[in-house]
Amino acid sequence: MRMCVSVLIHIYDESLPSEGQKLSTPLAAILALTEMMEQSNAGTMFELLTELKGAAEALSRQSLNPIGLKAGCELFIEFITLFPHDAASFSELKTELIRQGQHYAEQALAYRAKIAELAFDFIKDDSVILTHSYSRVVLQTLLLAHKRKRISGEISGSNATCEYFSSHVLCFSVFVTEARPRGMGIKTAEMLTAAGIPCTVVLDSAVAYAIDKVDFVLMGSEAVVESGGLVNAVGSNQIAIIAKAANKPFYALAESYKFHRMFPLSQYDLPSHNPGVLSFPQTMSARARPASSGLPSKASSVLFDNGSPIRMTQEDIARNNPDVDYTRPDLISLVFSDVGSLTPEGVSQYLVGMFAG
Amino acid sequence: MASDPQSAANQRIVEDLVSRLRRRQLVGSRATALETLLVLRQVVSKARFSNIDQLVNIIRSVGRRLVDAQPKEHSVGNTVRKVLHHIREEYHTANEQPAVESSFSIAKFVLQGQPRKQATIPSSETRVPLKENDPDDPDSFARVLKPVLMEAIQDVFDELETVYDNISKNAKDHIHSDEIILTLGMSKTVDFFLKAAAHYRNYTVIVAETAPFYGGREMAKSLSSAGISTFLVPDSSIYALMSRVNKVILGAHAILANGGMFATSGSLLAATAARSYSTPVVVCAGQFKLTPLWNLYHEYGALDFGDPSAVLGFDEGDLVDKVDVVNPYYDYVRPELLDVFITNYGDHPPSSIYRLLKETYDDEDNEL
Repeated sequence: MRMCVSVLIHIYDESLPSEGQKLSTPLAAILALTEMMEQSNAGTMFELLTELKGAAEALSRQSLNPIGLKAGCELFIEFITLFPHDAASFSELKTELIRQGQHYAEQALAYRAKIAELAFDFIKDDSVILTHSYSRVVLQTLLLAHKRKRISGEISGSNATCEYFSSHVLCFSVFVTEARPRGMGIKTAEMLTAAGIPCTVVLDSAVAYAIDKVDFVLMGSEAVVESGGLVNAVGSNQIAIIAKAANKPFYALAESYKFHRMFPLSQYDLPSHNPGVLSFPQTMSARARPASSGLPSKASSVLFDNGSPIRMTQEDIARNNPDVDYTRPDLISLVFSDVGSLTPEGVSQYLVGMFAG
Repeated sequence: MASDPQSAANQRIVEDLVSRLRRRQLVGSRATALETLLVLRQVVSKARFSNIDQLVNIIRSVGRRLVDAQPKEHSVGNTVRKVLHHIREEYHTANEQPAVESSFSIAKFVLQGQPRKQATIPSSETRVPLKENDPDDPDSFARVLKPVLMEAIQDVFDELETVYDNISKNAKDHIHSDEIILTLGMSKTVDFFLKAAAHYRNYTVIVAETAPFYGGREMAKSLSSAGISTFLVPDSSIYALMSRVNKVILGAHAILANGGMFATSGSLLAATAARSYSTPVVVCAGQFKLTPLWNLYHEYGALDFGDPSAVLGFDEGDLVDKVDVVNPYYDYVRPELLDVFITNYGDHPPSSIYRLLKETYDDEDNEL
């Protein structure tokens, strides 16, 4: 069992980057679990489930941000529990379950295209879109829209005598937030610019400044929870609040495997929250504390040695700041998912269908 | 596809409806829905097809022409979608291929929830086997399926016929004694609803006259002749009276996928006024008004404009060429401003309209 887990973690880590940028955490988790099933020699369903649950637990323990991962694990385990079968032997059933898991991971890669298709209708000509951090589904949607609009623009442009329009069809433009602390917004901006989409990086703190120029917000997600709320890279919540205040639609994009059976009532109910997040530095005891916490003591010495607490590195700040935050459902206009465009309340219908009843 | 003489006959009735829709000789969502259904019934009964795809294509092409003729009458498209949905359903039951169980997968699990233990009923009744694309007898498929399809269409028809009664069924649960209700425009549905409640309750209705079409006057006449105490007020006093109103009851032209609606101009005014007094806004509408559309391209109205002479006629000659006059038929009312939809399929909050839509139509028909 112990060995299984370490193998599992290895597999999970492997499957994340190995599939390029394509595989998202819940799917990687499902793949890792199928891999584990292949290696496990559990003889009964009960044993298998215990092993799977242990594995899921181990995976989420070693992950900094286990929400997406948990969503995948829970979906797969629930599926296994309820799988109706008429297999003659347990090993046969196991093979079938593994096949199902792998098949799903393959199938689910097409979901982003489906979501892009749904969201595409909402991107009007000349709209200005605000997005946050880096999300593959948002990126795919924007790229699809760009491709389609350019083609339709060229067709209409060819009728027009003006050559300018056929080559420079400005169909929509994008504001991307920088998304500190990881700065993933820069990556989005680079990719959009490379594709020829007009794109500007805005500071996280400048969202309220920019919102009046924005037509709607397009947001990716780590998970969508039962209330219909959104868990996503930190900063999403404040963008949603600003969008609401400015009366702009806030659209979330989420593949259905990101639906997660969790009901956070506040930011601090997220599993990614720990006492370290938003803690106040203990100025006196920090010096005395030995570096047993595993954090490099160098960083903290930069902070306190010469008595000027202003000199902080980005890492220092990131360390006691959250990675993800929770956005309340009443701030979200719609959730685009591969099962359809849902109101935030609609998400719970699917979760209840799977996990209760 | 359909052979020529028959499609020519179909052409004629389709063409007739198309021109009446285009000329606006036929207006109103229920009337257009009924006419569309009659045409579809004709089309199906005369169509020649040897598999389901051909039939669906025939209906779709007719539907497309009707919708193109008058895109603002959403119930035309809705009726076509509904008929398509029923046809597919009948086809699947007749085909007797339980395409479930064996192919349970994670994707299905997400979509449909937990697997249900269905006792598969062995069909004891002897069925005529459905044969698609039978080369010897290409009509056999149609022969077997047609009676079922006609029945399905008849069901839709009956539903449309009884829609008012079904909506008003629970009227007395929504209106209490001594309440003051505000409504506007002439909506048959609301008219029936209020009259049904009047059998049980004693209440007062304030009707805004709804310029420039003055549907409200008609409504007030109809209600007061049924013995309901009715006040007719100018539109401009809606806000002033709102503090005394217990409930706003509105009709709808079309219910949109996000839970918003298109309704007679003036509805947005009433709904906004109601919001500022936290007065509940109730919408009565038949299920055929459910439209798989998002109001994306126009923030406030349906971009459907009536004759401006009702607002400013040519008798005001000096003014006419100096100002632009618009007379929109419909307002777009956002879902946040509405509390409940009362339909013939039960009562629903705006946030679950998308689900009702999913149950009523097939996703692939959203774009006809």
